[in-house]
Amino acid sequence: MWGFALHRWKWFGLLTIASAILALNTLTGTLKPMAEVVWLDIAGEGGAALLVLIWLALMLNSRPAGRVTNLLALGLSGIFVAYWQDVMDEVIQLPATIVWDHWLESGAMPVGMLLLTLGLYHWHKEQQAICDQLRKREKLFREHRDFDRLTPLTRAGYLREHLALASRCAAPPVLLMMELPDFDAHRRHLGERDSQRLLQEVAELLLLNLRRNDLLCRYAGHRFAALLTDIDARQALDLARELEQAVAAFAFKSGQGRTHYSQLVVAITEAGADPPEAWLERANRDLDEVRRRRAANVAA
Amino acid sequence: MRGGSHHHIGYQRDDRFIPCHHHPALLLEMVREPGLDDHKALRHTGLFPDDLLDTSARLSPRQYLQLVHNIRRLHPDPELGFRYGQTLLPGHYGAISTLLGNAAHLDQALITLEDYQPLITPLLAPRIIRTGEYCCVQWLDSCGAGNEYRFLVESMMSALASVTRWLSGGPLPWTFQFSYPQPDYPEHYQVYLGSQLYFEAQMDAMLIPAHYLNQPWPRGSHTARAVSEQQCQEQQLALGCDTSLVHQLYLALIERIREPPSLDTAARELGLSPATLKRKLKHHGTHFQDLLDRARKHTALHLLQFYGYNSEQVARYLRFNDNTNFRRSFKRWTGLTPSACQQLVDRAMTALKPL
Repeated sequence: MWGFALHRWKWFGLLTIASAILALNTLTGTLKPMAEVVWLDIAGEGGAALLVLIWLALMLNSRPAGRVTNLLALGLSGIFVAYWQDVMDEVIQLPATIVWDHWLESGAMPVGMLLLTLGLYHWHKEQQAICDQLRKREKLFREHRDFDRLTPLTRAGYLREHLALASRCAAPPVLLMMELPDFDAHRRHLGERDSQRLLQEVAELLLLNLRRNDLLCRYAGHRFAALLTDIDARQALDLARELEQAVAAFAFKSGQGRTHYSQLVVAITEAGADPPEAWLERANRDLDEVRRRRAANVAA
Repeated sequence: MRGGSHHHIGYQRDDRFIPCHHHPALLLEMVREPGLDDHKALRHTGLFPDDLLDTSARLSPRQYLQLVHNIRRLHPDPELGFRYGQTLLPGHYGAISTLLGNAAHLDQALITLEDYQPLITPLLAPRIIRTGEYCCVQWLDSCGAGNEYRFLVESMMSALASVTRWLSGGPLPWTFQFSYPQPDYPEHYQVYLGSQLYFEAQMDAMLIPAHYLNQPWPRGSHTARAVSEQQCQEQQLALGCDTSLVHQLYLALIERIREPPSLDTAARELGLSPATLKRKLKHHGTHFQDLLDRARKHTALHLLQFYGYNSEQVARYLRFNDNTNFRRSFKRWTGLTPSACQQLVDRAMTALKPL
């Protein structure tokens, strides 16, 4: 996914070192007679070297450049170098006066393992940070199919599963249903591409204004839903006002650089004794009601 | 269109008359993204990417349906139909878009859709029923859509809801009725259409109280309408028909539902031999008795739902000799008894009653 180009210097470096080792061995040593060669050892050590190369390729392919990637790459390269020299030893007889081959064999392996361990430790830290960032978008478990193509959020199916979980909490959870009421008219004005981008940016904006443990999803179209747990009525109302103000103050820029303002309507619906589906229905009806009142106010 | 002498019988599945750069190009545009190859979407349609920019290129209903099929397979997102629908009307299709975009009120917009259906909604034909108190826009399969039917209903309903919201300057209180059960993505129906949704309700229709029909809309321009209407008439004249073969026959059956013609009579009136008509209907995934049943079922439903008829009155209207016979037929058409059906449609009708 990150391609070869991003890491080409790492590959180039490893290739240079491997060739240098090959050159040094052939220049200073002599080929062993066939009878002395143990093919099983060659297959074992060569196979190990090859597997390490595959790990390196898989790792580099799935990671962006950076410190963690460098540590992992250095560690795996060290292990590869140790195995590579092992393979050389199986076929080339070096003079007894030479010691660097031992250093390569016994030194590169532990150093490589140490670097790999360090890299894995930082990778774990990095993963924790990413999870923290994703927390508002996906709560307990990750389900690839529930992700939205348009925004970084989850969809209605994911929300439904979480409503069931949340309604088992001690304090009644709150569902915020939110909508850009004039979105359809804005879409005609902005065009398809810009209006889709507007939705993406509003999604980001809502995420920024929610608390760490809240779940936000794109319900459908221009309607969003936020599931809030551990919250009282007063706090929920404040949060809803903050979201409305944040969207009202958001100066979206169209493709031509023109500023475009939007409104957000929010309905607050507490969980009741009813099942999750009915709760969701109620939240949608509440939103209809809020929207109707707003339209009546505008008309008056 | 192909086969010049057949025009009066309505367009058929393989007649190439749908401009590529209208609906089909819009659909492709919805899903086009870097990395996606148009060739995959155009497979088996007989189209090439260049055709989409060629204003003279035309598609048959079959090719358009194949395109819908391909794109739904490549992009299984259920939101697609609704989003596609939002962009469909009034569209940029020349005269017909001007005509629709300048409607002075809802009634004019609906008349435009019905009168120039081949120009603006070739695969799904709207039938407008005005009952005095209510207006019903029923959507009917015009070319044998098969598995793509639900996608077409979703997109055309989303299209009409969106364009009437835009032209009237605010959301209209449509009630929606569907022949199929609720899909597992009700959220898109709620957000793109509205909260008044009735599934498993025998027909695919949008209902609204009649007094919305003539409320003036802000955008209507009389001159623009007059000029574009003339152009639309010319376009439809060049096309040679004002609806599809299947829909035309359906309407003819509805019109004479109390004394429906036989297959032979219907074929003779179309200037076809009975065998030819049979073959043509089969090509559209239907047959004469199926169309007749559909016409009777819809008539019975309309009478029950909009005119307050009871089961006996409907039976008498449709000239059934006895009620048992009618009940049996009704059960065959709808899977329900007339009274169960009555209860079902009553629920939708209470939503329509003015507050």
